[in-house]
Amino acid sequence: MTDTQQVQTRIPSVLEDPSVDSIARVYADALLDAVPAAQQAEVVGELREFVEEVLPRQAELRRLLSSAALGKDEKETLVGKILDGRGSPLFVNFLKVLARHSRLDLLPPICRQVGLQAELRSGRRRVQVTSAIPATPQLQRLVEESLSKSLDFTPILEWTVDESLVGGLRIRVGDTVYDGSLRSRLRQLQQRVEQRSTNEIQSGRDRFSHPEGD
Amino acid sequence: MKFKADEIASVIQKEIEDFRGQIETSEVGRVLEVGDGIARVYGLAGAMSGEMVEFPNGTRGQVFNLEENSVGVIILGDYLTIAEGDEVRTTGALLSVPVGEALVGRVIDPLGNPLDGKGPIVTAQSRPLEAIAPGIAGRQPVTEPLQTGIKAIDSMTPVGRGQRELIIGDRKTGKTAICLDTIINQKGQDVICVYVACGQRSTSVASVVEALRANGAMDYTVVISAPASAPAPLQYIAPYAGAAICEHFMYQGKHTLVVYDDLSKQATAYRQLSLLMRRPPGREAYPGDVFYCHSRLLERSVKLSDELGGGSMTALPVIETLQGDVSAYIPTNVISITDGQIYLEPDLFFAGVRPAVNVGISVSRVGGNAQTKAMKNKKVAGGLRLDLAAFRELEAFAQLGTELDKETQARLDRGYRMVELLKQPQFQPLHFADQVTSIFAGTQGFFDAVPVNRVAEAERELLRFMREEKSEVRNAIIESKNISDDTEKALRAALDEFRKRFAESSK
Repeated sequence: MTDTQQVQTRIPSVLEDPSVDSIARVYADALLDAVPAAQQAEVVGELREFVEEVLPRQAELRRLLSSAALGKDEKETLVGKILDGRGSPLFVNFLKVLARHSRLDLLPPICRQVGLQAELRSGRRRVQVTSAIPATPQLQRLVEESLSKSLDFTPILEWTVDESLVGGLRIRVGDTVYDGSLRSRLRQLQQRVEQRSTNEIQSGRDRFSHPEGD
Repeated sequence: MKFKADEIASVIQKEIEDFRGQIETSEVGRVLEVGDGIARVYGLAGAMSGEMVEFPNGTRGQVFNLEENSVGVIILGDYLTIAEGDEVRTTGALLSVPVGEALVGRVIDPLGNPLDGKGPIVTAQSRPLEAIAPGIAGRQPVTEPLQTGIKAIDSMTPVGRGQRELIIGDRKTGKTAICLDTIINQKGQDVICVYVACGQRSTSVASVVEALRANGAMDYTVVISAPASAPAPLQYIAPYAGAAICEHFMYQGKHTLVVYDDLSKQATAYRQLSLLMRRPPGREAYPGDVFYCHSRLLERSVKLSDELGGGSMTALPVIETLQGDVSAYIPTNVISITDGQIYLEPDLFFAGVRPAVNVGISVSRVGGNAQTKAMKNKKVAGGLRLDLAAFRELEAFAQLGTELDKETQARLDRGYRMVELLKQPQFQPLHFADQVTSIFAGTQGFFDAVPVNRVAEAERELLRFMREEKSEVRNAIIESKNISDDTEKALRAALDEFRKRFAESSK
């Protein structure tokens, strides 16, 4: 049973549908643009609370909001009835806009995007750092300091451990990967040595087939 | 001289000591879905169309589709070990193939990996698979002949250096045989040949390689193999790899010949990829740019201008038709791109006319420009096409059983002998002087007295006679590539002598 190769599937990042994310980003940007800077933290907190606290507990509500049984107008009225007076007017309006565009089911990705976009606007970005062994707090601080020196934004480190790196660090910013791990260096060395020895063998063979002088 | 193991060991040691790893910077994305030789990748925001990417198992891929949120990649190799979520790296390079002298005599896959078990291919040079064809200023008209060594082709549908001559016909009509004969006939002509097997059975490829080797043609030939079992992406890129390898030699001023065997299977592979990538299907479910897929490939065949070295790339694309249907989508496309076609017919093939070239609808748009003067001569092959066409018409008429006058009967008899004379066994390409001699003998009636079933024998005898006893006439044709009045007189005298001798020996 165990000798069959285990193929890892359904990695969380894969479940992020790129097209859903790109739509969510549009709404996230719009919300952040609409909120005055002073209220930003409040509205973002409100949204997060709604998505993370209210929706998981109110399964009925979640189902109603994402089902096709209710029309756009009904959903809008429902949102108004439940939240008017309880949430800030801007947040309630945002939900109504989502209801009008039938995008209420995208609330969780929108919430995630709002978080990311708010970080970006405040000059912070996620940076994925992978090391071969668990990092000590000192090392983490050291990496963070040197990264913020060389990058033009404040990094928020997301640290993971991957033993197959053997040693060194692998840092990923957005889509760009800076690979300083021992694994990739060993691979480079392997290629170099392979290339050199084939060259050497070839030149030896040439010498053998065209003997010079002897 | 021996291999010195210590030497190699010390080289490796030095390499390790001097090694300073560099931090690799690359752009990455994640595989969203994978299957049937393609992958959809999320991320890779800066990927370019046609860029080479790398999967974690070392397999390479090529960016094929750039979509709003994802990138479609064709996987050039094993796609079964690539899983959802795998990281894909860009390389910043276009897909390229190793080129150079080291490839000659080898059997490789479209990425340049050896398949013949003769060790690694050591060459520092490589060329991108896709290259823009030279423009008008970089070309010159096709005037130099590329001898195929096949009488029926060199006399009536001549191929020039830099020309694209389509070979089209049903299955089992001898398409590959013509290509192989042409390659074999390039021995000693300083022409580098590339045979691209695309979507063929592996056994056929093996027998092609064996035939080339047995005839000593592997000394100047590269075989690129993407058999039917290879993933569709490899079959799709195989012809481009062949063109790239030829271009390398062409830009050094050499003459090259490339055989794409066959482009209908490449089109099928391209259709598979396009449909998997959800590009909209068009006629016969081929994507809209299947014409461009072939035209950009065949446009790379060229006779370069003298400023560029004067090299050439002659292409012999092969198309397989179904039930002789040349009006299907891919055949019409390729017919319209190429400079002529050689049409092979199963009826002729089974009637024993081999090569089974249908003279009536085979054409070469470069025509007489790419023929030696000797062959173009009105008394040799100049009027052969029309004569044969007239003969076919007469033959149909004669089947009605009507009584024929003497002149018509004579023309019929001549026609039967010419058809017999144009037959040629496989792997026996003829020198152009020999071709000129036997076609001259046929059209001028020197074989009229020979029974039809003995024409082949008489021709063989004649060529031996000319080589052994009348070599001065043969040499005169070879040197001047023309038949002057004096040569013609000598040739006629020689043929007369042979006619008498053959008549006596057959008594």
